[in-house]
Parts: sequence; structure tokens; C-alpha cells
Amino acid sequence: MPRKRLLLLVDDETSILQTLQMVFENEGYQVLTAQSCAEALNLLHNGQKFDAVITDLNMEREDIGLEVARAAQRVKPRPAIVIYTGFASVPNSRAALDMGVDYMAHKPVEISELISALNRLISKRAVERSR
Amino acid sequence: MTAKATSARAPRLALVVHSDVGVLSSFQSALTEKGFVTIVARDLPTALLAMTQHYFELAVVSSRLGEGGDGWPLAGVLHLVFPRAFVAVVSPDEPDVLALQSAINYGAREVFELSRPAAEVVGSIVAQLEIVENRSTSKSNVH
Repeated sequence: MPRKRLLLLVDDETSILQTLQMVFENEGYQVLTAQSCAEALNLLHNGQKFDAVITDLNMEREDIGLEVARAAQRVKPRPAIVIYTGFASVPNSRAALDMGVDYMAHKPVEISELISALNRLISKRAVERSR
Repeated sequence: MTAKATSARAPRLALVVHSDVGVLSSFQSALTEKGFVTIVARDLPTALLAMTQHYFELAVVSSRLGEGGDGWPLAGVLHLVFPRAFVAVVSPDEPDVLALQSAINYGAREVFELSRPAAEVVGSIVAQLEIVENRSTSKSNVH
């Protein structure tokens, strides 16, 4: 039986985390959650092979989601990285582009768009790895 | 055919898509200067045809081909078809939050304002390509 796709969700708002967890579990993902950047970094460094990381941008402090993205980039194999935010600016969007973030969504996030983007990114990575 | 000829590197191919012939011409000159063979297209059908016939290492696409923003999906297709290619988008205005978000979501590596000289844009792209190449060379040299 193929393993479930493993997703790390990072947000400091419990209600958002629970909603997204429910949505992605319904989509067939196995979901781990973190409520801070520090918690997310611990999970990223403990050897789990995440297929994707979805993180809020502003949590303990502004733009700290970029640190989650930076840490996720160093994980091998590199997971797909998605950032969502209600506070997009030219500097943080530029930083996300330069860093190679795969997808950026602005709040209010359209869930169907997020699911579709994530499925596409994970499939693309799987194809690239198999080449 | 000599051994030297068979080991020669294939030409580096670039695609430039823009509706303005003047812009195409300046990018073509700048890319030729950097050693690229450049294919130009003024519209989407010509760009798609070129993509079926060549393997591109670099692409520069206007964010506006027929109407505002229709160049972004082309950048996205280029990224999917040529995943290792450097896809850059030129936009008529200074890149704002939405342009940067489009660049991320369509897989473009960089977005430049059209008013920047083509030689400067190409210089920046080639410098970034060299960084990536050097990184992969040093990785392959690690035993």
C-alpha cells in the first residue's frame, strides 16, 4: 500500500491549524502540525520525510515563516514549500521568490486553490525525482 | 567527424517572447553576446511551436503578450516543460506584490522591469545561471 503523503502545517492560530489539518486529512494526507517556527524546525530536523510544508508567514514575529521555508529547503529530499499570508509586502514576497518558495497564497486563502497547487507541486516533484 | 567535433557542447538555447520587435531585438543581441542562440516569438502560438522544437536553457517572457498578465501562464508552462531552465518575466512596471506572487506561483525565477536595459537583465540572469552551475559542479566533485 503506498504511503500517505506527509504534510507539515505551521500556524500559530489553533483554529486555522485544525481546519487545514481536517481539510488535508480528508484529501488523503498525513498531517503533522506545529504552532511556532521553533516547533516546525524541530519537526523538520528530526528526519521525517515531508512531501510538503505549508506555513503562515507571520507567527511569533513578522516574516518568521521565511525561516521555516529556509529550513525546509535544506531537508533532503526537499519538500514542496507553500507560504500563506495576510501581510504580503514587496520585501517578503521578494525574499520568498529569491529563496525558491514554490507557492504563495494571500489570505483569505481559497482552499480548493491550495489543494490543487499542493497536489500539482507534489506530483511534479515525484516525476522529477523519478527521472 | 573528428573526436573534437563530437565532444563540442551543444549550443545554449534561449527563448524570448515579447510582442515588441524592438524588445526582442535588444534581448537577442544581449543573449548572443553571452553566447546563447536565441529564438524569438512575438505571440503565444509561435512560442509554443518553438517549445516543441527546441530545448531551452533560458527563457525571457513578457508578462503581457496579448493582454495584461497572459504571459504568466506561458512562464508556468515553460517551467513545467523545461524544469531546469531559468525562466524570467519582464513586466511593464516595477514588480509589485502581485507580480512577485505570480513569479513564485508560475515558477519564474526572476521578474524584471521592462525599463531595465536588456544587457543588464541578461547579465543578471547569466550570473545567476553560473552560480547554479558552479554549485552543481562542486557537488559532483565531492566524493
